[in-house]
Amino acid sequence: MMNLVELFGEHPGWYFVAATLTPLLSFVLILLASAMWCAGRAYRATPAGAAIFNLFGGEERGRIPAFVATGAIALAFVFSLIGFIRFTAQQSTFETQINQLQTKLHQLQTQKKTATEKWTHELEEEIEAEEAKLENKEKMWTSARSYAWQGNFDWLRIRPAGIRDADNGTVLQLGFKIDSLSALMFVMVTFIATLIHVFSIGYMSEELQPEVEDHQVHTAHGHLVRRGRFGRFFMFLSLFCFSMLNLVLADNLFQVFLSWELVGICSYLLIGFYTERQSASNAANKAFITNRIGDAGFILGLLILWTNLGTFNFDEIFQRVRAPLSDTHGSVDVAGRIVRGNVDPNNTTKAGQRFTPDEDGSQVLLFPHRPPEHYHAIVSRVSDNPKPDQHSAMPYWLLVAAGLGIFLGCVGKSAQFPLQVWLPDAMEGPTPVSALIHAATMVAAGVYLVGRCYPLFTYDALVVIAYTGGITLFVAATIAVVMTDIKKVLAYSTVSQLGYMMLALGVGGWVAGLFHLMTHAFFKALLFLCSGSVIYGCHHEQDMLKMGGLFPKMKITALSMLAGVLAIAGIPLFTGWYSKDAILAQALGFIYVHPQHLFLFLLPLVTAGITAFYMARMWLMTFTGKPRDEHVYEHAHESPWTMTAPLIILAVCSVCVAWGWPIYDAEASWLEHNVHHAQHHAVLADFGHVDFTESKDHGEYWVVAKKQAQNERLYAFHNHHLAGNLALGLVAISLAFAGLIYWKRVLDPAEAKEQFPSLHAFLMDKWRFDRLYSVILVRPALVVGHWLAWFDLHVIDGLIHLLSWLTVLASKWDGIFDNAIVDGLVNLVGNVMYDAGARLRNVQTGYLRSYVLFLVLAAAGIFMVLAYFVRMAMAG
Amino acid sequence: MIFAVGLDHFLLLGALLFVCGAVCMATKRNAIGILMGVELVLNAATINFVAFARYNPVFQVEGQIFALFVIVLAAAEAAIALAIVLNFYNNHMTVDVDTAEELKG
Repeated sequence: MMNLVELFGEHPGWYFVAATLTPLLSFVLILLASAMWCAGRAYRATPAGAAIFNLFGGEERGRIPAFVATGAIALAFVFSLIGFIRFTAQQSTFETQINQLQTKLHQLQTQKKTATEKWTHELEEEIEAEEAKLENKEKMWTSARSYAWQGNFDWLRIRPAGIRDADNGTVLQLGFKIDSLSALMFVMVTFIATLIHVFSIGYMSEELQPEVEDHQVHTAHGHLVRRGRFGRFFMFLSLFCFSMLNLVLADNLFQVFLSWELVGICSYLLIGFYTERQSASNAANKAFITNRIGDAGFILGLLILWTNLGTFNFDEIFQRVRAPLSDTHGSVDVAGRIVRGNVDPNNTTKAGQRFTPDEDGSQVLLFPHRPPEHYHAIVSRVSDNPKPDQHSAMPYWLLVAAGLGIFLGCVGKSAQFPLQVWLPDAMEGPTPVSALIHAATMVAAGVYLVGRCYPLFTYDALVVIAYTGGITLFVAATIAVVMTDIKKVLAYSTVSQLGYMMLALGVGGWVAGLFHLMTHAFFKALLFLCSGSVIYGCHHEQDMLKMGGLFPKMKITALSMLAGVLAIAGIPLFTGWYSKDAILAQALGFIYVHPQHLFLFLLPLVTAGITAFYMARMWLMTFTGKPRDEHVYEHAHESPWTMTAPLIILAVCSVCVAWGWPIYDAEASWLEHNVHHAQHHAVLADFGHVDFTESKDHGEYWVVAKKQAQNERLYAFHNHHLAGNLALGLVAISLAFAGLIYWKRVLDPAEAKEQFPSLHAFLMDKWRFDRLYSVILVRPALVVGHWLAWFDLHVIDGLIHLLSWLTVLASKWDGIFDNAIVDGLVNLVGNVMYDAGARLRNVQTGYLRSYVLFLVLAAAGIFMVLAYFVRMAMAG
Repeated sequence: MIFAVGLDHFLLLGALLFVCGAVCMATKRNAIGILMGVELVLNAATINFVAFARYNPVFQVEGQIFALFVIVLAAAEAAIALAIVLNFYNNHMTVDVDTAEELKG
């Protein structure tokens, strides 16, 4: 135990590893216990079997799996929290010191400008000394981070054993790397997961019974009755938590991919938890298959990166793709950018091929993976077969393709257009699963990965990301307006909010997007759990048309949900306000610079209003007005404390988790500042208005990145209030509108439906995406399947039948050959022998005298022959 | 000059006796007759042995001993053969060996 404490003391990054492994341990424990239970159950007639069976729960198994899983995830939360606090403390210490040095340096430089010549020399010396100090400090922070907060080990070696050659891409590693983002993600995921585990203990209590009746499955003997699956549910939850944490922990893309697939399979298992329901198993399949499409892109991206960069490690990839901040000769003009150019294969020397920088070049400059002591960041020669300390080049389109491939994976996981169809169907799973997986964490993995891989994306890829997000958020929000299933509304709102995040990442709002990811996780988990509480209270009724007026019956749920609704609508001082405004501000800043992308601002702005409208609609339809279904209303009740306690905690978080000082300042959010620490310098390098400063070496293409970055920050800052106020105005109007329709009943929603029947049908039909896919994908696939079946049945089977017919024919011929020739020969030999015997038997007369005669004649013959030889011998 | 009896004469007598015995065996259908033929053949051999013992110093003892053995053998053979013949007679009520054709191929 002491060793463990010492380990954590020196390598605090291991806190996060421990937090990741705890849920895995819980999964393994529950799995083993269930295996023992099953084994015992099979032999429960014997005393030993019965003992094992009873030891592991017997017929009525208790809540132990839930306690194990909840304990594990709570422990993981504690680990993450300690790790997060230590990380933040260390980081802020260093940053304060660095900031002080920078301020001092700045002062000295200002002094130098105004000083007389006499002083200049002395000042310069002082500046140099301060610069050295600053550099030293920055180096210390970097090394502290790499020493204490990251680590890895070789997992698979693809070369012959003994050769460790990571440069040729022969080693797959497992590792961890902690920065502010992953530390925050850890705390967020474990915290929400803990609450959802607690909530599930109440929500899933029906599954504790040895026999559960599933009212939605009809068999010949009435409803289906099956064994309860309480333990299984928590086992899957544990596995899911492990996968998600491992995904956040990973320091390389391959490990991310592993967790990615694990998360996918957990999602599949949990969506299909009520596996007997046709709809649930269909939804599980749909989710899994849709994600496979995305993962195909992911794998392509991985292959491209592996082939061209020879590594999966994030840091190494970024180091190769993005220009370094400085080299031996000071800061680099294109710091943090992707450098394009042309390679001339005809102009080759020993040092490599000629590389000419060009803004529209077909190649991308790859920087050395282990830079030598003295080197130029921008070179004129690239190597064909580079050593770790040499530059090389790769085709630009391949880098775009790699980025888009990985983004396609994220599109699948985060349910973005055009792969958004699976998420609403995934609501077939139990509600805590919807909250945990399909709102707070798993779908966040896609956004998280886009954020993580940001330096990999070229400008073209980013535009695609932004438009994907833009389309998704609008489409999903419009569908959410007409949905009447309470969980479906939330599902579409999730898709829409994920669209916001993607859009933000695409327009350079790296911080804004990931900030929104954090805040959204809290309020969306809250909203889902509230809907779960409502559904539980109404005895598994999900249709809002049968609810109404539930407020007096379930006050805690209603008030918590209201907090979530206000947060997602973006009411000031609620978490959503900070993050959504940041996204809008970034989008506004982006369209200032690129006016042709106007829609990237208009879509999220309008959608902010729509979001407020449909969320208010949902809350009002559920909790206010007259009860629309007496039966549901009469039986409605508030949920037990294990379910309401997480709601209250999450509600508090949804209100104040993003606060900073002063609270009313949208720029001062504590959470946002923490996310900001993790921002890769590439983000700043990419998004700024282009300042064509005259450059020393390479003409006017090379621009000063640091300057741009400041400009961009300035834009976003100025825009923040404008964008925020615009959105707030729209939100207010929408809320008022929703209130008029669904609360005051000034307008009847049914009339609106009748007024625009085609629009309503179109939205109810989810923009006809399912039909579209059915027509262009599913049916063609079925048709192709039928063709293939026909082909199999007729051509392949025909060939096989032909073959067997030929075989039968050949064996017939063979039979004839065997009978006639082989057997004939054998018979012939036999017959000859028989005939010979029949003839020779006549010699055996049985008469003694004839034998004597033969004997005598033979003796005489022998005698004569001998006599002849003797005579010959005598004569010779 | 007195006609000197030599080895050749004895060998000639032996051969004559042998041929007589062989012809007797080959022609007689009576089992007793065949037995007599066998005796003739054996005695022809005995004459040869004795003659060699008399005229060849190397075989002086061996020839005598062989002759004695052959006489003993002939006695034993006659006893056994007569027993066979008796049995044969009991089975077939005749001593005609042509009736013994059960082993005919």
